[in-house]
Amino acid sequence: MKNRRLLALGAVMLVLVTLPFWVRNNYQLHLGALIGAYWVLIAGLNLVAGYTGPISVGHVGLLSIGAYAFAILAGTHGIHAAPAIALAGAIGGLCGLVLGLPSLRLPGFYFAMSTLACSLIVGELALAKQGLTGGGVGIAVPGFPAPFHTPRGTYWLILIIGSAVTWLTWNVARRMWGRALIAVRDSVVTAQAVGVPVLRLKLTVFVFSGITAGVAGALFGSLQSYITPDTFVFEMGLFFFVCIIIGGRGGIVGPLIGTAVLTALPELAAPLAKLGNLLYGVLLLVVVLLLPEGIGRLFEVIVERLRGRRVESRPVAPDLARLAAAIKLGRAP
Amino acid sequence: MSSLRARGVTKRFGGVVALSDVTLDVHPGEIHGLIGPNGSGKTTLLNLFSGYYRPDGGKIALDDEDLSLAPVQRRPRVGVARTFQKPRLLPTLTVLDNAMIGGWPDTRAGFVATALGLPRPDREDRQLRLRAHELLFGVGLGGVISRRANLLEHAEQRFLEIARGLMLRPRFILLDEPAGGLTGAEIDHLGAIIKTMRDCGVGVLLVEHHTDFVFRLSDRVTTLDLGKVIKHGPPQDVRNDPEVIRVYLGA
Repeated sequence: MKNRRLLALGAVMLVLVTLPFWVRNNYQLHLGALIGAYWVLIAGLNLVAGYTGPISVGHVGLLSIGAYAFAILAGTHGIHAAPAIALAGAIGGLCGLVLGLPSLRLPGFYFAMSTLACSLIVGELALAKQGLTGGGVGIAVPGFPAPFHTPRGTYWLILIIGSAVTWLTWNVARRMWGRALIAVRDSVVTAQAVGVPVLRLKLTVFVFSGITAGVAGALFGSLQSYITPDTFVFEMGLFFFVCIIIGGRGGIVGPLIGTAVLTALPELAAPLAKLGNLLYGVLLLVVVLLLPEGIGRLFEVIVERLRGRRVESRPVAPDLARLAAAIKLGRAP
Repeated sequence: MSSLRARGVTKRFGGVVALSDVTLDVHPGEIHGLIGPNGSGKTTLLNLFSGYYRPDGGKIALDDEDLSLAPVQRRPRVGVARTFQKPRLLPTLTVLDNAMIGGWPDTRAGFVATALGLPRPDREDRQLRLRAHELLFGVGLGGVISRRANLLEHAEQRFLEIARGLMLRPRFILLDEPAGGLTGAEIDHLGAIIKTMRDCGVGVLLVEHHTDFVFRLSDRVTTLDLGKVIKHGPPQDVRNDPEVIRVYLGA
C-alpha cells in the first residue's frame, strides 16, 4: 500500500522532471512552469480555503505584491534572485498578517469581501506608486541567474519550489494540525470543544498562504518578464479559488489536478480559445452539481469501488477492559 | 480530588430566567444524573459548565480556578470534556481521525515544526493514534475505525463522541442526552461505558431524558424545574420525591 504510493509518486516526479525533454515547444514548457507558479500560491491557499474554510478570492493581491517586490528588489536594486524570492515571500506573509488579523474574525462572506477589497486596493496602489512600480506602464521583471536562466532551468526551479511547498502542506495536512484545520472548517463548535484556538489557526495558515503567494508572485512575474497592474485582474483571484473547489476541499492532489487542468485547458484547446470561459463555467457547474467534493474525491470513490470495500453494519460491542486500560493510559503521567 | 462546581448560578436570556441560583457539584468518580422537563435548564447548565454560556450570577469553578468567564477552549486544558446532543463529527474524516482530534491539547508541535516534518509532530501523532485506537476498540468502534464519519450509524456517532471526549484525558465528562435515539441493547452498552469511566475516576454529568437509565446508573441525581433545583440526592430519594413525581415523572 505504502510502497504503491511511493511508486506512483516516483513515477509522477519522473514525468515532471523530464517534462522539458518531451514537450513539443517552449510554449508548452512555459505553460508547465506557469502551472507550477500558480500551484505554489494555490498550495498555500489550499490550507486556507480547502482545509480551514475561509474563502479568499483576493490572493491575486498578494501575488501581485510578491511580483512587484521581486521586480523592484531583483530588477531595480539588483539584489540576487534567491534572497529576492525569499523577501517577496516574507513581504507576502507580512501582508497576509496585516490583512488576516482584522478580517479573519469576520464570517465567511464578509471575509471574502475583505480579501476582494484588498486585491483591488493593491491594484490601485500599483497604479498610483509610479516611481516604484512603473504605474500603468508597468515594470520589467528580471529572469533567474544561471543555471536557472533558460526556460528549462526556470521550469526546474519552479518544480523544486513547487515540490517543496507541496511537501510542507502535506506534512501539515496529515498531522494534528491538518485535523484541527478541518475541524475549524466543518464544525467550529467541535474545534472549540477540543481546545483548538480557532483564530490563531486561521491566522497561521493565512500568513503561510501569504508567504507562498509572495514566492509565487516572484516566479510568476519572472515568467511574464513584464508586469502591469492589468496583469493581476480580479478574475485571477477567483481562478485560484475555483481551482481548489474543482479539485476538492480537504485534499492536495485534487486541487493540483484542478490547477493543471484549469490552466492548461483553455490554452491547449486553442481552437476553442473563445470558448475558454465557457469551458470554465461548464466544468465548475458540473463539479458543483455532480461532484460537490471535487475531482479528488472522484478518484477516491473509484479506488474504493475497485477495492470493493463493503460497508457492513455490525452492532457496537464495547470492550470494557480495553476501555479502562485506555483511559488509564491517558492518566499515566 | 476536587469537584467541578456550579455555585448559585443564574442565567437569563433577555427577560427569561433559564437558571436561577442553581448549585451543583460533580465529584470525581461519580455519575451525577441531571433530569427535568423540557425547558427546565438542563442543557443551559451544561453549556455553562462547558463554557458556551457565561453565568449572569454565581460561578463555575474547578480546583481553585474560576471558570465562569474562561473561554470554551480552556475546558479541555483543565480536564472538562463534553459530548453533544446532536453528534458533531467531522463528516469527511475517518473515525480514527475524529477521535484523534481530541488529542489537540496534547499537541505541542507548532505549525512550522509540523510543516518541516520534524520528528516531534510525528512522534506525538503516533502516540495519539495509539491511544485513539485503544479507546475506539474500548467503546466498540474497532470495526469501523477507518470509515468516514458521515457513513456511521447513529449509535456509532454517539459512541465516537464519547471516544473523542475521552481523548481529552478528562477528569470530568459532560454527556448531553447520550442515550437519545439508541436501542435497548445500545443503551446497555452506553451504561457499561459510563460506569467504566466512573470506575476509572472520571466524574460524569449525565443529562438525560431516559429517567430509568439515569436512576439505574447515577450515584446522585439532581432534578431541575423552571430553572431551579427541586430535588437533589441519591436516586431512590429523588425517584420517590412527591414534587419530582408531580412535575416530571408523573404517577
